[in-house]
Amino acid sequence: MTGFFLALREMVKAFPTAMGAGILIAVCCSFLGTLVVLKRLVFIGATLSQTAACGIAAAFFYHLHPFLGAVVFNLAAVTLLALSTEEERVPRDAVMAMVFILTSSLSVLLVSKTAEGLDEVHSLLYGDLIITSSADLHVLLWVLVPLTVLVLLFFRPLLYTFVDRDEAKILGIRVRFWELFFYYILGIVVSGASKVAGMLLVFCYLVIPAMTALMVSNRLRDAIAISILLAVFSTLFGFYFSYVHDFPTNQVIAVTSCLMLGVVLAGKRIFGSLASIFFSVSR
Amino acid sequence: MIRCQNVTLGYGRDMVLENVTLEIPRGVFLPFIGPNGAGKTTLLRGILGLIKPLKGKIETPFQALPAGYVPQHKSVDPLFPLTVREIVAMGFYPRLGWWKKPRAQDKKLLEQALEELKLTPHAHKNYRDLSGGTKQKTLVARAFVSGADVFIMDEPTSELDETSEKEVFHHLAELVLKHQKTVLMAHHGLNQLIRSSATSEICLVNHGRVKKMKIQDFKGSPESLS
Repeated sequence: MTGFFLALREMVKAFPTAMGAGILIAVCCSFLGTLVVLKRLVFIGATLSQTAACGIAAAFFYHLHPFLGAVVFNLAAVTLLALSTEEERVPRDAVMAMVFILTSSLSVLLVSKTAEGLDEVHSLLYGDLIITSSADLHVLLWVLVPLTVLVLLFFRPLLYTFVDRDEAKILGIRVRFWELFFYYILGIVVSGASKVAGMLLVFCYLVIPAMTALMVSNRLRDAIAISILLAVFSTLFGFYFSYVHDFPTNQVIAVTSCLMLGVVLAGKRIFGSLASIFFSVSR
Repeated sequence: MIRCQNVTLGYGRDMVLENVTLEIPRGVFLPFIGPNGAGKTTLLRGILGLIKPLKGKIETPFQALPAGYVPQHKSVDPLFPLTVREIVAMGFYPRLGWWKKPRAQDKKLLEQALEELKLTPHAHKNYRDLSGGTKQKTLVARAFVSGADVFIMDEPTSELDETSEKEVFHHLAELVLKHQKTVLMAHHGLNQLIRSSATSEICLVNHGRVKKMKIQDFKGSPESLS
């Protein structure tokens, strides 16, 4: 255990921006991720991560700032999502699938015509926290922190909109506005995070810690806190393990998150079986 | 006062109710009686503003003070891990808005609603783990604490046992008689409880039409509308 903390201290000294960025993305995405999972927006999370990657590819192609490309593409995707209302015959998921397929293919096409080529595709998809620059960290600080604080500030109308749309409408909450508010914030956060962490890790942060937390907690507040703690822990462990064993950091973080979910799932199954055996014996 | 003037309600091109004209004064208990699929829920959702009329105009006082609503189908997303207390506290939103915390009197009102509906032992339980009847009572409690002047209830006792149904009707009658609140309630039939509650009129809904009548003029079946 002491070795773990000593290695982490060394890492903080060696890669302060990378660790700062990792923890910042972990906290913000896992917080928003709880609402993403509960509102069944997981596929939208995946699509937004992919769309951000496509926007970054387009920015490379046109020599623009990657964050700008990601934001423009994601805001366009969110607007399309907003236009496809639930009353229409084409379900929202199908629209998102179309966006996912389009942006996945388009990002490969765009990168194939840039000087960087396939290495860039790899970087877009998998990212690399270790090479985070201080400029990247500044973008994250100026984008992720205020937007996450905004969601916290307006958590009540957002939550009521998501929990009971009809009741929220009757209570005078502008449900369409708050839905869009969340989608746009999610789009921008994913755009900022994807440039640094890559779409796979961002998607992982949005879904896995929240899923794990919701498996072990019966209260929303606790689930959010546990989700954040798990995301931060997997990030720190990812840095430690990749530093000591020379593995790519992002993938170690993603695998750690999935392993924690696996342990929780297995634990619940085993505990459930043991409990049923115990009760049947005691009868 | 709630006023519907030549209102046509429906979904897309399907019209459910046509040319409904209805005036509901303050302080009445008005049951909407009709068979399944007659359009009771559509009419109540139209009055609540959840669906826009295809034709005509509905005037309500809900801009100033939202209605207390109990839906027929559970509208609360069961995936969200919220307790009974947290669901009931949603009713405070018109008073608390985005940031305010519940005051002592709000908390007292909440405890009172839980107590009256025998929900206190379930207060800390997760909403999704409750039985259908307890979920329904939770939504009734949420409507009660909202401080609304008008309560709109869509078959609020469909999943309750006889005792709980009597309790809910007792509270509804009290709201009308003691506090001059308005209660609109959809129900598939006219049972003894409705006959004995604080109502002198009923609203029959059938075949896309709506008719208000004295309870003693009701011939026993919603078919009497035609």
